[in-house]
Amino acid sequence: MSASVSVQDLTKTYPGARKAPAVEAVRGVSFEVAPGEFFGLLGPNGAGKSTTLGCITTLVKPTGGRILVDGLDVVRQPIAAKRRIAVVPQVRNLDRDLTAREVLVYHGRYFGLPAAEREQRADRLLQRMQLQDKAAAKPLTLSGGLQQRLLIARALMHDPKVLLLDEPTIGLDPQARRLLWETLSDLHQQGLTLIMTTHYMEEADRLCQRLAIIDHGVILREGTPAALKQGLPGGQVLDLWLRSAQPLSPHLQQVPGVLRVEPLPADGPDEGERLRLFVDDGALARVLDVARQQGADLKHVSLQPPSLEDVYLQLTGRELRD
Amino acid sequence: MSTFLALLRRDLLVARRAAAFYLVSALTQPILVVLVFGNILPRIGLVADQFRTVMLPGLMSITMLMAGVQGVLMPLMTDLAGTREVDERLLAPIGVRGVALQRVVSGAIQASVAGLLAGPTMMLLMHGVNGLSIHPRWVLLMPLVALSGLLSAAFGLTLGSNVQPRFAGLLFAVVLGPMMLFGCAYYPFASLGVLGPLRFAFLLNPLVFISEAMRAAVTPGVAHMGTALLVAGFLLHLVLFAWLGSRSFEKRTIL
Repeated sequence: MSASVSVQDLTKTYPGARKAPAVEAVRGVSFEVAPGEFFGLLGPNGAGKSTTLGCITTLVKPTGGRILVDGLDVVRQPIAAKRRIAVVPQVRNLDRDLTAREVLVYHGRYFGLPAAEREQRADRLLQRMQLQDKAAAKPLTLSGGLQQRLLIARALMHDPKVLLLDEPTIGLDPQARRLLWETLSDLHQQGLTLIMTTHYMEEADRLCQRLAIIDHGVILREGTPAALKQGLPGGQVLDLWLRSAQPLSPHLQQVPGVLRVEPLPADGPDEGERLRLFVDDGALARVLDVARQQGADLKHVSLQPPSLEDVYLQLTGRELRD
Repeated sequence: MSTFLALLRRDLLVARRAAAFYLVSALTQPILVVLVFGNILPRIGLVADQFRTVMLPGLMSITMLMAGVQGVLMPLMTDLAGTREVDERLLAPIGVRGVALQRVVSGAIQASVAGLLAGPTMMLLMHGVNGLSIHPRWVLLMPLVALSGLLSAAFGLTLGSNVQPRFAGLLFAVVLGPMMLFGCAYYPFASLGVLGPLRFAFLLNPLVFISEAMRAAVTPGVAHMGTALLVAGFLLHLVLFAWLGSRSFEKRTIL
């Protein structure tokens, strides 16, 4: 079966304004999303996620490369491509002059739905998104979570094949976020193809079947969440809480099977030192021996499989982004 | 085409709901100008009675220009500033320039309605005064009003998509104000012979053609441009601004 969305060698350079240099936002990104797949683009701010998404939606003009949606080139056949996609944007851009129900009905009109169908579908979607009480409300009077649901309802009005979501849970409270996750899972189960950008690990891990971790405009790693975690050097994460007279890291670094030692921020002044070690299976005993030999007072030890966040931070680094 | 009409329908629904706002903003100026220049000043004797006839089509033109420009400029400023409401339109199955031209058509309809309301309103205010000689040529009036609306809205698109929202206020002082004064609204183009060749510079101002068109349609007794020159001027400006405006719109909206 051919891909639902295929991105091939995509590049995008924004020309610099005045004396500012040009920005290479995307530098050769390729990936394919199968029909019915839930695909995630994970990366820090400014990594090129939104630009990549923008190019798929025709709102950003690619500098190079090719994007096919359902076999249609989005640059050459934008109108046909737009019929097949729907977008839930990062900025909530609901039509503020219409009521919630009109937002849906008019969206249906824009896509040429016959009158009976758009009315019916609008009512069904209001119901499904638990917005039926808000049908006559203006979008700006709705809370962030309700607006987000209305955006999804709007996106579903024209029965798209691919739903693209740009950081859909930003600014939502935990309840609204969970409800959104459920909705997205349902949509996925019903066979819709979804592409989502996010920088929330839990969300990506929970929802996406496959992920691409993207930074500085290139894909660093791509795979299922499980495969990405297994691909981390060592395959185990060992956290140590301890107190010792001299720094322990240099000694631990020498232990066979220890691939990397990272200091973690301590919880309080009395909590002592916290270290995160990326280790091979079986290194635990050797690590504990060395710690004891060095006279360290171990408070707490935990060994666990790596989280997506470990993979993410290992690939994208720990320095702060704007 | 159905997408174009659906977008247009949405704009007209929203405009109809805000009709009071549009009417007040479109009709306030012509009403006030008529009160002063069509009523007080002629009665004092500072302005000739005939000025009422010259002024009426000019004020209709100014009303249309302002309504057309605002009808496109205002939504465009919301669209382009932050919220990106325009994205929903851009994602609809229609070309980017189609989205821009649809805005022009909806602005043109608002401008035409404003112009057609301004005329009778002003006549009512000057009812029974001396020097008012109105003889509308209905067959000419409708197409010329429609063309005037389109030209005003296309000009609004060019302004709106080339100017940063924070400078929008400046537009009225720096662009629209001078346009109104030099747009042959208060004097016929034919009378500009006194300026010599300088008068041809006025032809760069699209309002000149709107004013002369209204003169031809509403007060044919006053000297006005010939139909050929009128139509040529309209089409040239219309094509220029529709092209410039939709090109800038595309540059502004598609990154």
